Amino acid sequence: MEKTAYKKPKKKIRVFDVVNYLIFIIIGLIVMIPIWKVLVGSFSAVGVYQFKLWPTQPTVDGYLTIFTTKKLLRPFINSVVTTVIGMLLGLVMSTLGGYVLCQEDMPGRNLFSYFLLFTMIFSGGMIPEYLVMKQLGLVNSMWILVVKHGMNVYNLVLMRNFFEGIPGSLYEAARIDGCSPMGIFFKIVLPLSKAALASIGLMYAVTVWNDYSTVQIYITDRDQVNFQYILRVMVMDGDTPTTAYKVSQDTLYYAGIVCAILPFMLLYPFLQNYFVKGVNVGAVKE
Amino acid sequence: MGKQKTVTTSSGQPIRKKPLSIRMWNSRGYYLMFLPVFIYVLIVYYWPMLGVRYAFYDYSLKNFEFIGLDNFKEMFATKDFWRAFFNTLQLSVIKLLITTFASVIISVFLNEMGNMVAKKTLQTVIYLPHFMSWAVVAAIFTLFLSKSSSGFVNETLKSWGVIEKSIDFMHSKAWWRPIYYMVNVWKETGWGTVIFLATLSGINPELYEAADIDGASRMQKIWNVTVPALANTILIVLILNLAKVMNLFESVFVMYNTRVYKVADVISTYIYREGFMTALPNYGYTTAVGLFKSLVGCVLVLVCNFASKKVRGRGII
Repeated sequence: MEKTAYKKPKKKIRVFDVVNYLIFIIIGLIVMIPIWKVLVGSFSAVGVYQFKLWPTQPTVDGYLTIFTTKKLLRPFINSVVTTVIGMLLGLVMSTLGGYVLCQEDMPGRNLFSYFLLFTMIFSGGMIPEYLVMKQLGLVNSMWILVVKHGMNVYNLVLMRNFFEGIPGSLYEAARIDGCSPMGIFFKIVLPLSKAALASIGLMYAVTVWNDYSTVQIYITDRDQVNFQYILRVMVMDGDTPTTAYKVSQDTLYYAGIVCAILPFMLLYPFLQNYFVKGVNVGAVKE
Repeated sequence: MGKQKTVTTSSGQPIRKKPLSIRMWNSRGYYLMFLPVFIYVLIVYYWPMLGVRYAFYDYSLKNFEFIGLDNFKEMFATKDFWRAFFNTLQLSVIKLLITTFASVIISVFLNEMGNMVAKKTLQTVIYLPHFMSWAVVAAIFTLFLSKSSSGFVNETLKSWGVIEKSIDFMHSKAWWRPIYYMVNVWKETGWGTVIFLATLSGINPELYEAADIDGASRMQKIWNVTVPALANTILIVLILNLAKVMNLFESVFVMYNTRVYKVADVISTYIYREGFMTALPNYGYTTAVGLFKSLVGCVLVLVCNFASKKVRGRGII
């Protein structure tokens, strides 16, 4: 009743709102202009410095070059393969670990937690890590991307927090019905965690897809690098791995950039909520 | 009752715990499930930790010899190391302060937007850059800032008559840091608002209504209701990120170049160059630098963990 009786004052709202919307239009433009320019540039046959809303001399040759040049296509496929496998491995590891860590009557639960959490405090560092991976035969192999990002303790903790939110009575009921820990995990926990699985899976996928420095450190063989690496080599070092100059360099660069962000840009509007959920589960769990 | 211990629940009822061996046997399924994680963490995280002993060795292609603390002595006497150390602190902390400040401002005013469609659209737009890799962002801005005839920024500024000659932004010691901060703001500010907006959505609307009745203006409401509500979250974000100050790597790695080492070189890039880009890498020395970085990072995490416990009652780890 009180709420209907209450009326919002209308004074002065106009000026504030107009300014506010104007500022946000500018902020939106600051973010979008670089992205739009890249997109337009990738479809333009000639590189112009000005900002154009639509391509000049429209062409798709930039993309054709990327997907027909073996030296550019191979890294793209490597990126896709490592991302998918890295994401799956990450999901398996963090759900298993997260599930085990929330078993309250399991002896050694705290020990396991400390075992994992210690890795967040201290690490061997770049060089010892490199030497270990070398011994494992992962130098110069794209699987380093999968192994390095195959599990992230932070994501595991997020998963555990999510599992802890599942009512304990569900576990209890399943146990009484004679369900094994594995059975409970697959039949009850996982089906209830689809949203969490989506957010965490996406985080793993983004990490693997976007990784450049690991490739730079571990891989020199051009057959094993990922797309981020080849893009970087192309744009920054001017080392274009194609001899067929059908397109202008800028067109090729911009098309490369679009390919490097495309998978997530396409999925992103649909998955935005999952990303946001992932952050908020970890940060503002009150 | 032998080994059985008596534990009471919060309501005071005694619970009989089964003996440890039986509980362990009952948990065998869980142990089996933890096994892959255990092995993975052991190999990928713990095995390299054994490698920190190289910090006390002279370890190169030909040599492997214990030399005590000589690597650390060499490190502390090296000018490049100190430069990298202070650059790391400066770049991380200033970047953190600028992006957090920008995120707070944007969240506060985004929160004032009445139109939900506009708000959602804007959120979608400003979150976008976060999902681009550093390699991509560096590529975009290098192309935009380049000196060539298709360099967006230089040519635009020239056509407006702001500058006469193209500026080589990425290779300029004076420009590199401002550019670095700006690119960081462009990439991460939007995503930084997620956590603040979540806090703001939890503010009790009655507070605003009370302020209205008291005749508060829009800005007064922002200053007296919205901003205080964010104070705790701002502190948490700063604490969480301070713990990661030493980890600065990829963002610098993709944007720096030989000409700006003086203002851009950080510990991790320094280790990278000393470890992989020299003809005769001394793994002992580079491990020592890495160990120093890990230890400083470790202290920071523990301090921030303590601070976090004080502020919000739970740690960050």
